[in-house]
Amino acid sequence: MSASVRGRAWFERLTGKARPVEGLPPSVLAADATIEGHAVRVIAVVPDPSARFERARNGEMGIDEGFGVAAAVNATPAGSAILAIVDVPGQAFGIREEAIGLQRSLAASTQAYIRARRGGHPVLTLVVGKAISGAFLAHGLQGGWIGAIDDAGIEIHVMSEAAVARVTRMERDDLTRVAKEIPATARDIRTFATFGAVDRIFAVSDPDAPGDADIADVVRALAEVLRTPEIGCRNPRDRLDVPAALHTRTLARRVREELQAQWDA
Amino acid sequence: MTTMLLTESFAERGARERARALLDPQTFRELIGPFERIASPYLAAQGVVPQSDDGTVVARGTIGGVRACVVATDGRFLGGSIGEIGGAKIAGALELARRDAQRGTPTRMVLALDTGGIRLQEANLGILAVSEICDAIVALRELMPVVAVIAGRVGVYGGLSLSTALCSEIIVSEGARVGLNGPDVVETESGIEEMDSSDRPLIWRVTGGRLRLRQGFATELVSDDVPAIRDAIARAFETPNELGPLVAQVFPDPRLARDDFLRAMEIQP
Repeated sequence: MSASVRGRAWFERLTGKARPVEGLPPSVLAADATIEGHAVRVIAVVPDPSARFERARNGEMGIDEGFGVAAAVNATPAGSAILAIVDVPGQAFGIREEAIGLQRSLAASTQAYIRARRGGHPVLTLVVGKAISGAFLAHGLQGGWIGAIDDAGIEIHVMSEAAVARVTRMERDDLTRVAKEIPATARDIRTFATFGAVDRIFAVSDPDAPGDADIADVVRALAEVLRTPEIGCRNPRDRLDVPAALHTRTLARRVREELQAQWDA
Repeated sequence: MTTMLLTESFAERGARERARALLDPQTFRELIGPFERIASPYLAAQGVVPQSDDGTVVARGTIGGVRACVVATDGRFLGGSIGEIGGAKIAGALELARRDAQRGTPTRMVLALDTGGIRLQEANLGILAVSEICDAIVALRELMPVVAVIAGRVGVYGGLSLSTALCSEIIVSEGARVGLNGPDVVETESGIEEMDSSDRPLIWRVTGGRLRLRQGFATELVSDDVPAIRDAIARAFETPNELGPLVAQVFPDPRLARDDFLRAMEIQP
């Protein structure tokens, strides 16, 4: 598997000459950029072929990445928004990580994003590549606003197709068929957007090397969102009430209604 | 039959009986019970028979005489996996507990999780639910303890292990496992040399409750015994002993060979 170049490409185009945040592992990029007058700490997780953990060299969220993203988020300057650039192929699958406790590393960045957002820092997310499983939970999915590029290379899921096939004992052909019939199992961004969690999908010329027009388009949209900080401070629960979710997440809504009705006897 | 009733094992019970066992006697009241039949509509098309409670039980009652809610997942149904309905039950209960705390009528919240993670058969809805659960745990923790009990046969893996790590108190049993990636998945993704998912003693040494307590990732280690777990929950609310902040601990150089690394962590490879 060749490591993806997307995260770094989009990070570099969106941060330009902004000064990088120091003290982070090489796989965590962060810089304080200005987007049409708005201060934004931009954070990306990228491949590092010489990472000290061998299972976290292709851009996965591992021990160093979770705690690294958490450090970058926790040190966000007052008054600054946060932009998470997402191209994460998954979490690191290694025995060293499990022994150390990978769930805590990913919880650290998740908690950092939540506290930043609830503390008044708008958190925006731009999905430019893979957004898989725990890695997406820990980097991106806590955003109050989520944008994505319109590209077949984007994959959103909780597990690789090979591992799903093993765990569910289904053939891969069957999994592909099921994904067409049951949107909840699909892996593409357009289907994921039908659940109400994606606010904007951008058409781009080249996902690996975004052109000037692509960047201008995204910057214009980000600036528009940043003008209303409440948008970037929306909680994940608020996604249930967006129009797209009204017909796709009916059970999640009904369960909450019933719980509320029955909560106090 | 008599001996079965005398055992006070927690792990041998189903989710409903676990919730009942953790609440004060005679106070158990289930919300959205199985007769309401809110079951997953996504499973049949994937060759799986749904369950009328979707494998997640929400119960109200009291703990130590105080208003409480226990959410228990059923590790025997699809590995305790979390889909749209189960996820909404957990997130919704946490949201209501926060509302109660803000109103000055706190509800003690216990998450008795036994789950392999997000349900693959409804993955997109599961991952969205888990993002809501994480947010709701962090929000509730601002106001009062959120207690996780990991004492089932599965343990807690996947997105829910990440959520569990956000709780203020984590009670684990010796038989429970806590990890991000299940052994099957590590083996599939990284090879059997990395992790042999059939080597059960190794899996417990690497992700078991005893290790997690030693690492400081759990507040209490309990035996598989209902009274012991109830006592630990009472202590968690009466004299909170919050887990430390989510920062990296010292660990051996990960460039060490696998077995050497594990030995350096005082884990038999």
